[in-house]
Amino acid sequence: MSKDFIQSAGLKLAILAVLFVALPLLLVSLDKGYIYQVVMLALIFSLLAVSLQLVTGIAGLLHLGHAAFYGVGAYIAALAGADYGIGFTLGLPLAGLGAAAIAFVVALPTMRLVSIYFAVATLGIGQMIFLVLQNWVEVTKGPNGVSLFSGIDLFGYTVDSELGIYFVVATIVCISIWVIHRLSHSYYGNALRSLREDDQCADAMGINTVRLKIESFMISSFFAGIAGALWAYTTGYISPVDFDFAESILILAMVVVGGLGSIPGAIIGALLLILLPEALRGVGDMRNIIVGFVLFFSILFLPKGLFGEVPSLNFIRRQFGSAWQDNPDKQKVGWK
Amino acid sequence: MTAMLEVDNVSRRFGGLMAVDSVTTTVGERELVGLIGPNGAGKTTLFNLISGFTPVSSGEIRYRGEKISGLKPSVIASKGISRTFQNLRVFPNMTVFDNVSVGAVGAIGQTPWQAIVGGSNRAQQISERSWEALEKVQLTRYANDLAANLAYGKRKYLEIARALAMNPDLLILDEPAAGLNDSETAELASFIKDLHSSGITVMLVEHDMGLVMSICERIVVLASGKKIADAEPSVVRQNREVLEAYLGVDE
Repeated sequence: MSKDFIQSAGLKLAILAVLFVALPLLLVSLDKGYIYQVVMLALIFSLLAVSLQLVTGIAGLLHLGHAAFYGVGAYIAALAGADYGIGFTLGLPLAGLGAAAIAFVVALPTMRLVSIYFAVATLGIGQMIFLVLQNWVEVTKGPNGVSLFSGIDLFGYTVDSELGIYFVVATIVCISIWVIHRLSHSYYGNALRSLREDDQCADAMGINTVRLKIESFMISSFFAGIAGALWAYTTGYISPVDFDFAESILILAMVVVGGLGSIPGAIIGALLLILLPEALRGVGDMRNIIVGFVLFFSILFLPKGLFGEVPSLNFIRRQFGSAWQDNPDKQKVGWK
Repeated sequence: MTAMLEVDNVSRRFGGLMAVDSVTTTVGERELVGLIGPNGAGKTTLFNLISGFTPVSSGEIRYRGEKISGLKPSVIASKGISRTFQNLRVFPNMTVFDNVSVGAVGAIGQTPWQAIVGGSNRAQQISERSWEALEKVQLTRYANDLAANLAYGKRKYLEIARALAMNPDLLILDEPAAGLNDSETAELASFIKDLHSSGITVMLVEHDMGLVMSICERIVVLASGKKIADAEPSVVRQNREVLEAYLGVDE
């Protein structure tokens, strides 16, 4: 028991040590703005992939418009900051809530659609949101995009150094992923998985399927909105093309390559698809072809993903201290 | 004593076909009732009407005096009626334990907030109840295996365990013995009897006459959607109409 506790605490501490000590030290010693951007992009896309995993990999709803909700969050944060003087402290939750509110309105009519019909509906919604960002010039400033020069204000302090912004982004991404980890690695998460497996059967088990689908879609969109606000504050400039259909597909690719249903897999997929193209910059135009090959062969040889759902759930249960083991056999099953 | 489940003049029409035609029957508290009939008699349709999967065309179904026809399956399930499926519907990509936990979480409930912050003892309750259900069907050994990897006979028990994790008062089993050999069927029969004597009311649809005749206290016979008999096994066995419709005239 105590050995398990030390093991799981050690793993969690190691993750925090890498994110908040080793990586910042490395960033400071390299001291290149470009590296900061890549690392923060990797963090933000990890959150995007994990939030899409909740809805697509776990609840089984193929969502082709995730980037649009990311865009809604980014635009709410950027416009609130640039036009209304609403800073990060308030802008961040507003971005999440705004994206979740739109998700709720969208979810009401679409949740009764199944499989491919739901996918097409989300594709349409993503496109609609993109076109609004692109063409509602009076509010969104259209294709010119929005510039946001203010630093991150935190309860009266202004964080504007690259290292400071890194710490803020890393903290918020960490907390957000922790929340989604708790949700998916719980009996609530099991109920979501049952929707993916057989939602009629879940209904017969007393699971309110429509409500669960709407909830997971809203929670996922909330965190996409949070990721959008982080993006707006780290780059200082956003435009509609950051949130088009190709971005939704990129996030979906991260989730599938990492392993549908696996939270650690989504993070691995995000890191791979952000860091690999950057690492290959030296190769020139060939790099996108190489990335394509890596995707193709990873799916061909590992269709369940680099870190699929089954090994991932075992890992979380055994190494992360999330399992219930008060049973006579001391088996690590279910969730605490 | 009023009946636990009342099926009151219930019909279901699919286009021109009366799948269930003005059926009236009851299930009393702690009864073990069998529902039999030739193929296409409307047995599974009647189960789907009771569990809310198919809406009734006319008539009314009441559970403990309260009308349940017209409610959603999840609402009916939460009142204490749980069911299994004829064509075996476990969640293949989830572990055996996680399968069962879906029944428990459906009955006990866990909100997103409770999942995130923990604190409440919901998770503990769900875990314990799932484990108990697995113990009843003796599948604890396989708790961490994927349901897809279980043998067919064990998946049958898994489906029953998932229904039991809901702590039902009325358990509806749709052809539990389908696909089982004779010794497995006999084992299942004694398992169902044990369940019944532990206080659960059981209603089962079955093709296997031996199973139904040996364990049920009362048998309802459907033919072409109509109820043609509703009596003890020994009486049903003698019923001329039943013999003609179901067992063959020449007997």
